[in-house]
Amino acid sequence: MKRAPAFFIAIVIIILAMSLTALLLSIDSYIRHGKIDVINMVFSISAVFLAAYMFLQMRRKINVSIKPPRVLTLIQCLKCDYRDMREFEKGDYILKEIGPCPKCSGTLIIYSIFRESVDKKR
Amino acid sequence: MNMETVANIRQLAPQDSLNWIFQIVWILVFIFIWIYGQRIQTLLMLKEIEGSLSKLKLMRDRGREIAISAIKEIGKPNEDPATRVDRLLEHVAIEPVSLDPTGIIRRLEHIIDVRDFRLKDEVRQMAPHADENQINNLTNVLEAALALNHLYKIVRHYYLMGKRTLSFYIILQTQMILPLVMRESEAFINALKAFVSGQPIGDGAGALVAARLMYGKEKRLIAPDTIMSEVQIEGRKAYVIKAKGPGGNVGKPGEAIKQILEEEEGKISLIIIIDAAQKLEGEETGEIAEGVGVAIGGPGVDKYKVEEVATKYKIPLSAVLIKEGIEDVISTMRKEIVDSVEEAIERIKRIIRENTREGEKVIIAGVGNTIGIAQ
Repeated sequence: MKRAPAFFIAIVIIILAMSLTALLLSIDSYIRHGKIDVINMVFSISAVFLAAYMFLQMRRKINVSIKPPRVLTLIQCLKCDYRDMREFEKGDYILKEIGPCPKCSGTLIIYSIFRESVDKKR
Repeated sequence: MNMETVANIRQLAPQDSLNWIFQIVWILVFIFIWIYGQRIQTLLMLKEIEGSLSKLKLMRDRGREIAISAIKEIGKPNEDPATRVDRLLEHVAIEPVSLDPTGIIRRLEHIIDVRDFRLKDEVRQMAPHADENQINNLTNVLEAALALNHLYKIVRHYYLMGKRTLSFYIILQTQMILPLVMRESEAFINALKAFVSGQPIGDGAGALVAARLMYGKEKRLIAPDTIMSEVQIEGRKAYVIKAKGPGGNVGKPGEAIKQILEEEEGKISLIIIIDAAQKLEGEETGEIAEGVGVAIGGPGVDKYKVEEVATKYKIPLSAVLIKEGIEDVISTMRKEIVDSVEEAIERIKRIIRENTREGEKVIIAGVGNTIGIAQ
């Protein structure tokens, strides 16, 4: 597993060296002839981008984080229109009876439990 | 880069010579890429697989940690459950022989039953203070951790095989399937939180529909881990079936439907099955689709039973599908899915009105994992 990064670093260094040489040659050509050496310029710029891409790929960090989504519990009265929303608590489940309604003394149940969508753009 | 530096370079090597050397180097590079291009591509792909494999390993280890800490927290075991969890993560169920397919469903069902029993029994021994619902939830946690371990090992197998043989095609196929494997693994790691907390998951959409229909009615156990209620809907008698909640459980809907049909001697006008279905890219989460057939996923045992018994009595089968992505199926239920439940109920009522007459009997089965959903 160690060989691959060394191999890629060597490739990145070679690409960078060649791109630098191409750049120098194109500058030199411009100074001497007053013409832009398009081929060497393209070689140089593309090689720099390629080297940067490979370098970033090698440096990419692996991160596994479990971001707990916001989970909400919707409480509803079976008799009246009383509704309440709160954060999910351990022990909550849908259709659990959780006590009397503060408005009409009817039975309050957990009507639904859901997580907030975070990927609305999709 | 100033003029002096350029002048110095020109002094070090004459311009024409430098140009020639540079051209030769480029030609050599092209020859090198021409000969070793595929090898370089193979190494780049291996590097990419290696990155994903490291991520899979982290997820596998995180899954194991979550499983162990949940067992310790809920079950309060007398000894450290780590060794037993490690053993369970390597647990395999061997499929029945298919050379002679006669009776394969019956044999498959037996193996699935034995596996479920064994897993629950192991959890019971590890978590002596957990109640039945918590045991079901912890079994789900272990199943998710087991799936992560399995995915990691498969990808590692193909990675090492590709690395050893440097076979372009083995590596290419592994790399091609990796995005789907990673998506599935991320779904499993997110599912662990829902299973530990006992939150309803996307797969429970069908069970939630049935729970809403049978709430407040008398219930009875019709098959192992499966309950049934008689409900009046649109002037028809409906036998509503779901897995017994709120613990993580899928029950045996196939066995339950078969049982009711045998009890009623086939005098049922319609069977409606509601289940979560995987959406295609571009479809909205919570979209509802209707169709015919048995909408029961899994290994096929329950689906086979319903098809057999419905064919025997010539009973029409309707399906109501709630669409969701693979990442939604085993993670905490999204609001869109909860909202679609009401629409699914309206659709069921319409299907009953359009396909049966008043006074007739129908079966409504809400299929899926009923974790976090009572009845």
